[in-house]
Amino acid sequence: MSMLMLAVDLDAYIPIGLLVVMAIVFAAANLLMSHVMGPRREGPIKGSTYESGMDPIGSARKRFNVRFYILAMTFLVFDVEIIFLYPWAVTFAKLAPQSDEAALFLGRIMFFIATSIIAYVYAWRKGVFRWD
Amino acid sequence: MPDWLPEFITLQLIVSVGVILVIIHLIAVGALYLVLLERKLSAWMQDRCGPNRVGPLGLLQPIADAIKLIVKEDFIPTRADRVLFILAPAFALIPALISFAIIPWAGTLQIGSETVEITVANVNIGVVYLVAITSLGVYGLALAGWSSNNKYSFFGGLRASAQMVSYEIPMGLAILTLILTAGTVRPDEMIEQQLQGQWFLIHQPIAALLFYICMLAETNRLPFDLAEAETELVGGFHTEYSSMKWVLFFLAEYGHMIVGSAFFTVLFLGGWSINPLWGLDLPMAGGIGMILLQFGIVMTKVFAMICLTMALRWTLPRFRYDQLMRLAWEGMIPTALLVLLVTSFVVFMGWLPMMWLASLITVFVIWLVRPLLPQQANPNRRLPLLGSRFSPKTHEALLSSPVEPRGVDD
Repeated sequence: MSMLMLAVDLDAYIPIGLLVVMAIVFAAANLLMSHVMGPRREGPIKGSTYESGMDPIGSARKRFNVRFYILAMTFLVFDVEIIFLYPWAVTFAKLAPQSDEAALFLGRIMFFIATSIIAYVYAWRKGVFRWD
Repeated sequence: MPDWLPEFITLQLIVSVGVILVIIHLIAVGALYLVLLERKLSAWMQDRCGPNRVGPLGLLQPIADAIKLIVKEDFIPTRADRVLFILAPAFALIPALISFAIIPWAGTLQIGSETVEITVANVNIGVVYLVAITSLGVYGLALAGWSSNNKYSFFGGLRASAQMVSYEIPMGLAILTLILTAGTVRPDEMIEQQLQGQWFLIHQPIAALLFYICMLAETNRLPFDLAEAETELVGGFHTEYSSMKWVLFFLAEYGHMIVGSAFFTVLFLGGWSINPLWGLDLPMAGGIGMILLQFGIVMTKVFAMICLTMALRWTLPRFRYDQLMRLAWEGMIPTALLVLLVTSFVVFMGWLPMMWLASLITVFVIWLVRPLLPQQANPNRRLPLLGSRFSPKTHEALLSSPVEPRGVDD
């Protein structure tokens, strides 16, 4: 039975596979078209990066503000949390209202959300979200 | 279907391929004409004429633009990372082109004994697919910014990725709230519920507002276009791009806009529903005429959303970066979490038909509680500056000002 379900599900993904192939071909064709059709003249000044007419000083790949890094970490915490919440939401909405099972579901997920809220308040107090 | 065809080619697959072809062309050609529409709308809002030289009313302008862009030089800076520089536009475009796969553009069509859905793929993960695919778009922007080896591009890519990552969380929470309300992740079942009852916009107005703001931020539209702010970063992450590579970024932006509007239509505006308040509505299934009517209604709603987005462009000024981050992390995430908690409580009590009342009460509570929360010093306060016409640095101002006087360079 489970094998059958799997087969049915995968059939629904065939058009998505086709769509991915079409999108890749579309992007590649566009990139190739301008490469073939456009003119091509090169020079040392023309090849330099545009920085409003100034000669570029050094490389652009420098160190940057550490706040972006902290932000990325905070994002990961919340994103993973939300991914866990999706299957819960579908199951919880199908349970009978005010039943014991629903109460258990709600209580567990409230605890889970509370743990991330603690992390969120900690990050807020530490000034992660302050950019001024 | 005839017997000689392989088993996996079904009527649904043929319809899916048809939908793919129609929608890809709609996005590609639509994007060209949306540029013209945007320029015309901007012109009307500013009391100008807009493009009117190429063809009647400027209608051939997009074609002229496209020809110009195709025959332009495809320029790669010498110091750029060539492989990533070429791949970045493709990385930006492909998610925009494949994300519309789960959106139902019309109801089900009866052909002989078979029923087909007017969608590319009705997969069981539903809206989660769309959320996952649209968030892949950040790779294109970050890679473009990094590979150009240009400081403007680098800052643009950095800003774009931080912004898209930040606004992903309230968007995820808003969609989660909607999944709780609908009890399903399949978009066709969501539309069916909205056809039989109210639009989810009425049940979840806060989630709709959060989702719309996040959609603007994810597409890098004004007032969230800090990643390509012309006055600060020249062109942002696409400073070094020309010709068709630049077009791919442009197509990606407009593609995201079209797909985002369609997603909003499906989630909150009931797809092809014409009655927002009670059950009397168009059916799910129908003949070819009904399908065309439903498709027309969906497209009208999508078009209205796009026009709203374009009107917002000339209504709201651009954010400053700290305001942008504060809005996402200190404004929208707490609100979204609150709405999620309220919704799960309402679902638990079985009061879902009264969800609109709970939303109204939530708005009222937020309005009441907001002034009591700890406030940050106003970042828009005027700093006294030496020689300023508006807040000069006087002795009295120094004495009475609660803020530390700061120099220009800190």
